[in-house]
Amino acid sequence: MDGVVASWWAWPAALFVVSFAIGVVAVVAGVGGGVLFVPIVASFFPFHLDFVRGAGLLFALAGTLAAGPTLLENRMASLRLAVPLALSGSIASFAGALVGLALPTDLVQLALGATVVAIALLIWRTKDLTAGSGETDALGTILRLRGRYQDPADGLAIDWRTRRTVAGFAAFAGIGFFGGVFGLGAGFANVPALNLLMAAPLKVAVGTSGLIISIVNSSAAWVYIHRGALLPALAVPAILGVMLGSRLGARLLTRTPASVVRRMVIAVMLLAGGRALLRGLGAWS
Amino acid sequence: MSREELIQRTYARWLEAASGLAFGAALLAFVVYASGLLPAFVPLEELPALWHLSADEYRARSGAPARWGWLELLAFSDYLSLACIALIGLVTLLCYLAILPLLLRLGERLQAALATAQLLVLLLAASGLLAGAH
Repeated sequence: MDGVVASWWAWPAALFVVSFAIGVVAVVAGVGGGVLFVPIVASFFPFHLDFVRGAGLLFALAGTLAAGPTLLENRMASLRLAVPLALSGSIASFAGALVGLALPTDLVQLALGATVVAIALLIWRTKDLTAGSGETDALGTILRLRGRYQDPADGLAIDWRTRRTVAGFAAFAGIGFFGGVFGLGAGFANVPALNLLMAAPLKVAVGTSGLIISIVNSSAAWVYIHRGALLPALAVPAILGVMLGSRLGARLLTRTPASVVRRMVIAVMLLAGGRALLRGLGAWS
Repeated sequence: MSREELIQRTYARWLEAASGLAFGAALLAFVVYASGLLPAFVPLEELPALWHLSADEYRARSGAPARWGWLELLAFSDYLSLACIALIGLVTLLCYLAILPLLLRLGERLQAALATAQLLVLLLAASGLLAGAH
């Protein structure tokens, strides 16, 4: 006990280092970071899962808030696209959190792992739907879900517009619901929903996913604060680490070719999904 | 500058400023907490014996409050730090408040209605009513 007490700062310091590394990867991959942070920290750090989840939620929130200005300024994130989808996700995530608290943890882990791995495989097997492919729909036209961004990686100005807007709303409600059930935020599924379903270019999907996470997690963060599941000694090193890491990640995003981002998304999702799947099966406690 | 750029940049500007202030406050309060400048409700040295407990067990063992009870403990550095972390949860709300008048002025009624609905969701979450339901 005395030895542990003397080194209380060692674990928060290690948490800062891990959070920085995850912060860089999370922004480039557009997964929010919580989906990586929670399994990694829960596995290798001595903190209870309640505090890990609380810190993880703030971690994902801080990372996306820090990256937001850069992503918005360079048009990688579309606020017009984020506003309706984040609203749908926010409301559904509350319902999901209520349901998730009533389900057995193993079942939640298993479902999370299977879902993430399935989506990662779907992205791997499917070609990128590039700018404006497919016809826009009536709701997309009314909401004017379109835009233009200059891709610094290849110098091209790309006009884009979304399609299947109603299905997009339903998808983000579903993602928000399951995000609430899993307690990890909803970033792991945002990118494929924006890219594969709604035909947003991959980089816009990645950037907008981060913006949506920052909005959805702002609501969920208060649940953890009010429940006493946030320890500043864990949350602040995690926030500081991811904030610095995600700023670096946001700059890398503009210079990284889309194919690299795609591979990173797949790798990150397989890693996080495989981890959750193994935990759900009891093979990795 | 197009209306799209104006809205995006306004949101980005507020996001940059508000998140910078919130992160700065959280960091400053944490320095106060970690340095021992103010007394902590739960001293840092005792945390390793508590952070493996669930949130409910932690509260029961340490006497820490739930919901808005922590507002009465802001004289303690750990709860001052928590309050500054809570500011991070208000950044998005502030950004939405900043773009709402702009959306209305630009005639973006649908986006304004959606932003208003999001503001209500954020306010409901911050109120603690949903946490109480849990």
